[in-house]
Amino acid sequence: MTRYALGPIAALVLWELIARGLAGSFVLAPPSAIAVYLVENFGLIARALGVTLGNAAAGFVIGNCAAIALAACAIVWPRSDAAIRGAALLVFCLPLVATGPILRVVFGPGPWPQIVLAALAVYYTTLIPLLVGLRAVPSDWLDLLRSYGRGRFSALLHVRAMAALPYLVAGLQIAAPAAFLGAMVGEFTGAERGMGVLTIRAMRGMNVEMTWTLAAVATAVAMLGYWGIGAIAARMLQEDPPVILAAPAALKGGGLGTAAMVAFLVVLVWDVGLRLLDLNTFFAKGPLDVFDALALAPDARDTWSILLRALGETAVFLVPGYFAGLVLGALIAMLIVLVPSVAGTAMPIAIALRSVPIITTAPLVVLLMGRGAAGTMVLVAIMVFFPTLIACLHGLRQAPSRVMDVMNSYAAGPLQQLMRVRIPAMLPAFFAAARMNVPASVLAVTVVEWLATGNGIGSTMALSASVSDYDLLWSAVVIVSLLCVVGYGVVGLVERRVLRVYAPEQLA
Amino acid sequence: MTVAVQCEGVAKTFGASVEAVSPIDLHLVAGQTTALVGPSGCGKSTLLRMIAGLEVPSAGTVLIGGAPPSQTLRDADLAVAFQDPSLLPWRSVRRNIELALDLARRPKRAEEIEQLIRLVGLEGFADARPAELSGGMRQRAAIARALSTQPALLLLDEPFGAVDELTRQQLAQDLPALWEARGTTTLLVTHSVSEAVMLSDRVIVLSPRPARIVADVTIDLPRPRRPEMARDPDFGQFTEHVFAALSKGVADTLPKAAQ
Ligand SMILES: Nc1ncnc2c1ncn2[C@@H]1O[C@H](COP(=O)(O)OP(=O)(O)OP(=O)(O)O)[C@@H](O)[C@H]1O
Ligand SMILES: [Mg+2]
Repeated sequence: MTRYALGPIAALVLWELIARGLAGSFVLAPPSAIAVYLVENFGLIARALGVTLGNAAAGFVIGNCAAIALAACAIVWPRSDAAIRGAALLVFCLPLVATGPILRVVFGPGPWPQIVLAALAVYYTTLIPLLVGLRAVPSDWLDLLRSYGRGRFSALLHVRAMAALPYLVAGLQIAAPAAFLGAMVGEFTGAERGMGVLTIRAMRGMNVEMTWTLAAVATAVAMLGYWGIGAIAARMLQEDPPVILAAPAALKGGGLGTAAMVAFLVVLVWDVGLRLLDLNTFFAKGPLDVFDALALAPDARDTWSILLRALGETAVFLVPGYFAGLVLGALIAMLIVLVPSVAGTAMPIAIALRSVPIITTAPLVVLLMGRGAAGTMVLVAIMVFFPTLIACLHGLRQAPSRVMDVMNSYAAGPLQQLMRVRIPAMLPAFFAAARMNVPASVLAVTVVEWLATGNGIGSTMALSASVSDYDLLWSAVVIVSLLCVVGYGVVGLVERRVLRVYAPEQLA
Repeated sequence: MTVAVQCEGVAKTFGASVEAVSPIDLHLVAGQTTALVGPSGCGKSTLLRMIAGLEVPSAGTVLIGGAPPSQTLRDADLAVAFQDPSLLPWRSVRRNIELALDLARRPKRAEEIEQLIRLVGLEGFADARPAELSGGMRQRAAIARALSTQPALLLLDEPFGAVDELTRQQLAQDLPALWEARGTTTLLVTHSVSEAVMLSDRVIVLSPRPARIVADVTIDLPRPRRPEMARDPDFGQFTEHVFAALSKGVADTLPKAAQ
């Protein structure tokens, strides 16, 4: 217990000292100032927190129910699996920065944009572990059901549902902070109340104490959500929920065919959906409008040049930040394993930080690093770093204990063990994290560009929303989502190549 | 109700080249207990799974009481005790048995379940989770589960592998009595020759993979069989016979494998 408390206390003291040293430079608020601000403005923050929590909770429930329904459908009707995964990925890749304003126009000032964004932020991270869990059932159990003449539905009800529970919990745990994040991003787009609104206000007013206090509260709430779900699960399950970020990319033959089908399906739903909802065509652009804007319209060239320039600006920050986060995450995980005494303290801290809605601290990064390139890159790297670290640590520890026993019996040193057993065991988790981090890093970079730096595709989307250039906005959404899916696919391809050599059993 | 099983030219090849079972003709007589012995990996489980309708034969047909296995499955009229007990870990022994009854759409009678649990020697463990049981206890729970639905056809895949000798003897007494009373047609896969002879009316000996029948021995020892019979000269002759067939099957295959 003291061991766990010592680290954070030391960090707090250090923070206080540095902040006092930097007093007057308007970047860092000491913990004491945060505490004072929190007490003085308790009513204001409590009300805002209540609103945001309510929206986040609604989105959490809706998003997770959608994920559970989709997963059940994919299991009971296996042919729909590829389509469900593909469409779900595409929707997950929608840039929240652009969907936010569009939802705002559709729904008006009420809570729905926040709720929808929260739901969008959570369903995928629940769906993927759930699909893994629903399939991670010994075939004997399914044979047992079949031997009594029962089919897929019974299997789902009696066997798969229970077997998937730990995986569901793992997904829900990640979903709790994500829902909070989604709700706050939704509030950034022009809500009337909530933590996001206060954050924007604090940032505009360069109010250092307020910015830090809000970030601290958001972080504390997200961590509580993560731990709360973990604690409830621990009581129910008796075993730790598995850390699983994504199943190995399934790209068995017909990958392109499936992709084409998914694309067709999404375009169809998009087009028919807009028609059914009967939205104002001024802001509700269909697939044909986007095609028109990007290919046929007289100013299509201009649109492309705006988009490409913005994407170029974004890529300069996004790509290095993404890889830095991945590499650092994997390296530090290995270090922690090599020095086991560190692991005991490092793991809980890393898990805690994993649950921080990093985006909500975007204003801090801007305060700390300025509006330049460094801040953006650092934020992307942080966003990628923690999930990678957790996944890699988990993977490194998963090295089969019997194999480790064999290694020990040959007196293989820790470095040997790391190279020959642990790293191969880590690779699947590493790549799962790398894939899931593609959309996450895009989210990070677009939010920072939008809120802070004012360049790149995030800012382009925000600007086009504010000047009502909806052709450009929808085009940007389409392009960014597609790029995101392509990035995810490329990582998946590399993953398959590497796993085929080092962990072929993962591809079965 | 008793059913006969007819396998005509049943064969199974996994993938392109792993021939597990070469065409086999096998008739299980209704109400009889038939044991299947053969070296490890020869295809016993595969044959059993094809009879259960869990594996589709690459060639040939299986008929259970004149109907394809899918029909028997639909009527939940067979039960399998798998090589691995495969109890659901979140359900107690009792609730695992109840699940089978639910799946088979049979009524759940507490008294009958209790009786079964006692029969397999698990009294006092009805509410224990599988994780709290030993390997042998889990196997016995799986046997109880298979018996619970009163199937016409009972398929047991090495059900006593982890069960200790004394309990095994007890079960060898009690289970055949139950099958006889119910008229259950039973197929028992086992590695133990004496167990095969002790429990069954007939022992089928399989060759190493791909499995084919190398001997079909009718065990006409009187029932009920008692543990003392293991010292009976007749009993010895039967085991000798089965053992010789088993060895011959292996010996005949070895030179071919060595080529
Ligand atoms: N699903 C499968 N795919 C590929 N090969 C299989 C499969 N199931 C079994 N085999 C192969 O078929 C052969 C027979 O397997 P089976 O499980 O029937 O053996 P067995 O006689 O039950 O062995 P044991 O006594 O060890 O349980 C083995 O060589 C095995 O490798
Ligand atoms: Mg077997």
